Amino acid sequence: MHKLKISSITLLILVLAACGGKKTQPAGDTTANTTKTDSNTTEKTILFFGDSLTAGYGLDDPSQAYPGVVQNKIDSAKLPYKMVNAGVSGETTAGGKARIGWILRQKIDVFVLELGANDGLRGIPATETAKNLQDIVDAVKAKYPNAKLVLLGMQVPPNMGATYANSFKDVFPQLASKNNMTFMPFLLKDVGGVPKLNQKDGIHPTAGGARIVGNNVWRVLREVLVK
Amino acid sequence: MENTPLITKRKLSVRWLFDMARRDSRKNRSRLLLFISAIIFGIAALVAIYSFRYNLQKDVDSQAATLIGADLMVQGSHPPDASIKPLLDSLGGSKSEERSFPSMVYFPVSKGTRLVQVRALKGQYPYYGSLETEPVQAGQSFRSRKAALVDKVLALQFNVHVNDSVKVGEVTFLVAGILDKAPGQTGISSGVAPVVYIPLQYLEQTGLQKKGSRINYSYYYKLDKSVNVLKLVKSIEPKLDKAEMNIETIESRKESTGRSFGDLTRFLSLVGFIALLLGCVGVASAIHIYIREKIASIAIMRCLGVKASEAFLIYLIQIIGIGIIGSVIGAALGTVIQNVLPMVMKDFLPLMISTDISWLAIGQGVLLGIIISVLFALLPLISIRNISPLNTLRINYDEVNLVRDPLRWLVYLLIIGFIITFTYFQLDSWMASVFFTIGIAIAFLILAFTAWLLMRLMRAFIKSTWGYLFRQGFANLYRPNNQTIILITSIGLSTAFICTLFFIQNILMAQVKLSSSGNQSNMILFDIQTSQQKGLAELTKQQHLPVIQQVPIVAVRLIKINGKTEADVKKDTSIKIPVRAFTWEYRVTYRDSLSATEKLLKGNWVGKAGDAKEIPVSIEDNFSRRNNVHVGDHLVFNVQGVQMPAIVSSVRQVNWNKIQTNFQIVFPTGVLEDAPQFHVLLTHVPSAKVSARYQQAVVRQFPNVSIIDLGLVLNVIDGLLDKIGYVIRFMSAFSIITGVVVLIASVRISKYQRIQESVLLRTLGASRKQIFTITALEYLFLGMLSALTGIVIAAGGSWLLARFSFEIPFNIDVLPAIVLFVIISVLTVVIGLLNSRGVLNRPPLEILRGN
Repeated sequence: MHKLKISSITLLILVLAACGGKKTQPAGDTTANTTKTDSNTTEKTILFFGDSLTAGYGLDDPSQAYPGVVQNKIDSAKLPYKMVNAGVSGETTAGGKARIGWILRQKIDVFVLELGANDGLRGIPATETAKNLQDIVDAVKAKYPNAKLVLLGMQVPPNMGATYANSFKDVFPQLASKNNMTFMPFLLKDVGGVPKLNQKDGIHPTAGGARIVGNNVWRVLREVLVK
Repeated sequence: MENTPLITKRKLSVRWLFDMARRDSRKNRSRLLLFISAIIFGIAALVAIYSFRYNLQKDVDSQAATLIGADLMVQGSHPPDASIKPLLDSLGGSKSEERSFPSMVYFPVSKGTRLVQVRALKGQYPYYGSLETEPVQAGQSFRSRKAALVDKVLALQFNVHVNDSVKVGEVTFLVAGILDKAPGQTGISSGVAPVVYIPLQYLEQTGLQKKGSRINYSYYYKLDKSVNVLKLVKSIEPKLDKAEMNIETIESRKESTGRSFGDLTRFLSLVGFIALLLGCVGVASAIHIYIREKIASIAIMRCLGVKASEAFLIYLIQIIGIGIIGSVIGAALGTVIQNVLPMVMKDFLPLMISTDISWLAIGQGVLLGIIISVLFALLPLISIRNISPLNTLRINYDEVNLVRDPLRWLVYLLIIGFIITFTYFQLDSWMASVFFTIGIAIAFLILAFTAWLLMRLMRAFIKSTWGYLFRQGFANLYRPNNQTIILITSIGLSTAFICTLFFIQNILMAQVKLSSSGNQSNMILFDIQTSQQKGLAELTKQQHLPVIQQVPIVAVRLIKINGKTEADVKKDTSIKIPVRAFTWEYRVTYRDSLSATEKLLKGNWVGKAGDAKEIPVSIEDNFSRRNNVHVGDHLVFNVQGVQMPAIVSSVRQVNWNKIQTNFQIVFPTGVLEDAPQFHVLLTHVPSAKVSARYQQAVVRQFPNVSIIDLGLVLNVIDGLLDKIGYVIRFMSAFSIITGVVVLIASVRISKYQRIQESVLLRTLGASRKQIFTITALEYLFLGMLSALTGIVIAAGGSWLLARFSFEIPFNIDVLPAIVLFVIISVLTVVIGLLNSRGVLNRPPLEILRGN
């Protein structure tokens, strides 16, 4: 099952390429399940819309990913929010754009956008990424004009080349200011590039790494939630 | 021997024994020659097949070395730390280092940017095969300059030529050559992004190696021939594991490249085993008949005072002599065939076959010839010991109860032990050897039983109302001095071998064809959005490329299996569902029919979801077994936030050997159409040029679509598969031909069995036509029955082999089996008639005197 057979390249490839790695093991989880079911009517929804970083690829339990960490913080702060993890491993901004309609069928109060990493790893032009992200934001605004918007920024590793890395990095602050979103410049701050905090593939945080990411996100998000 | 009465105490004269052995052989040299020729053919077949096998295996192995380009590769995603560096430095004779990573490179000539796989290389890698470039010398010369090699499709796509430039990071490199083929390019990663090679010494300057860079560190080693790679790997693997580094060898790469290498090895083992048995059949049947004919001589010698032990030794010496002569000549003939054949067929062979003389094959052949001669001679010879001279004279040798002689069982045991040992040399596994030997014993018993049954039935059924010729012909099958058992077993076994080879070859070739790309897809486009799929398909067709497959893919997770959740399974270990079933992310599709590579195993296929509460889904066989889920079980899927209850309606078998999208779970239509999904498109591009043009067009219109071009990867693998397929065909054709030759030889030695009777019949006034008919009837019946039994045995044997040794689906072509049946039957009759040609064409008296 775990053998990499060139003659049986099937869907595996899709997943592999999507993660930019060479691992033979299929990617993590698609989770959009609510972590809490005993919701009362006053509880509001905070939706994490993202890729494998949100879904918790490679972690033993998807709730170890940073949205789960944030949920714990919310619970200890006794804020009336329930988190919905809508991360899909390997998703690009184009995929997110196609998926957003399905996700927006549920009511959303806070929309956290974390997409683009897979575009960057595949070398998709930054203009394309920017356009798709804008479309996603537009879709949310159209359906839930009152939802608060948060953008988690992404960067590509330096080996992609400075020109591309810069153009990619610039997409996020521009998008945030244009749409008046709460902005966190780099999701993987303190974690990206630190071997100890990342899985063997070098891009996905370990549970420990995800905890740091979660804390960082929480710092940004708290402002939004208590406002 | 203690019950043999000793008349006089006489010292055993070794010299006299040898003299007697030689003198006895003088009597009828032409007859002796016939027997020796059977041994020669048997051993020649064995030696030639073994030699081919060893040579071809070597050729394919050296070809396989280009899969990785070195004996050993160590790879990790971090720079090796101080604890592992000394180990890496201490390994191997020659060493190369490579750092590879994806990066966006810029081609000034066309102002294009593209994601590539940069490979920064230091050292003389590859050690097997070469970086095939245009111009040729660029594969070497780029290493010492600020120069790069650019993948061919990439070059075409961006209109890059030799002496143009490419900007990697901050450094602009001269394009020294266009890369056509490179060893080690068999991983999927090489399909995702085209390759650009640069010399490692410039990597620092590019500025791409910084904190946070994702770089793969690879070390390639060419080891001394004396190094046992397997042992080395075992000894260093734990340390490397700890340092999170992977190790790969040619062997491991062969395994991961596909099953074809394993199939080839198993097939060659099978061929070796069959060659061994062909040798045995050739030698054993000759010796058996030879000794039987000698019984009369032995009886006379016994009456003249030769001791039983002396008679025994005389013939043992003679047999060893015959065995040595036959085996040596056979081995020489086999070697000559193995050397000359590839030369003669040079123009037809797509592959250079090396023609090294294989001393291993020759040694095994000679040894086997002698041992088999002796063992099979022992069977009749030991019975001589217990028979008084008078008894011997009466030649009721057949009726002496031999079963009680313990020595006879010892000989049987020796034969079995010997076959197991030699089989071990071919199969490299004692277990397999024992199983194969048991298989042969069963085949032998079936044939012997068939012969016995035939004799019984003939005796019971022949009626005096039948015509004389019929009665005579059929009665020959059971009357004393019949050859039914010996011919049925030798023809039957040969047929079974030939037929087994044929069946297995066909089955394997079907597999090889499946694995090689041919017109299969070699390009995969994915992340196609629903809104783009029509446009992309149109674009593909516009470029005159086939849309081989286009499927929607939805990511789902399993949250319940028969009401049990992940938490339940974790709590209660007695539930036979692995936790992985829930953590896995499943990529599923939906469609209304089975695909061509799928087969329904259980349940009913439901193509369209009805109004039922539970969606009828189809699961794959392995999934079913791994997760213990079967038809009728209840599942609950989480389709990105929406829970969907489902019921398993069918279990499918999927052929994973084809490059196409295969699925563990398939939904019916009418459920997932609105769910978030993307599409995958598979196509086949005929050339690098077309690939480049197509990719350009796709990227322009659909920038988000990712493309995997497997052209380069498949080139390397197809080349190998072609060779493997060719080797399989060549070896089976050659073995089948030698099998036929051995079969002819073993029928041919029955020549003298019927001569006496035929001559007597002739003397009594039988016409030529009558003798012709009697002989033809006997051989026709023998031929048909043994061919039929042999084919049935082959079918059973091939099924077992396919199921348990090769682990591939079994199917049989009926037509070749029928053709084989007819050929073997006709062949037996023809040889039988040729055997009695002398009797038919010449006057009886001449033959009576001449004999």
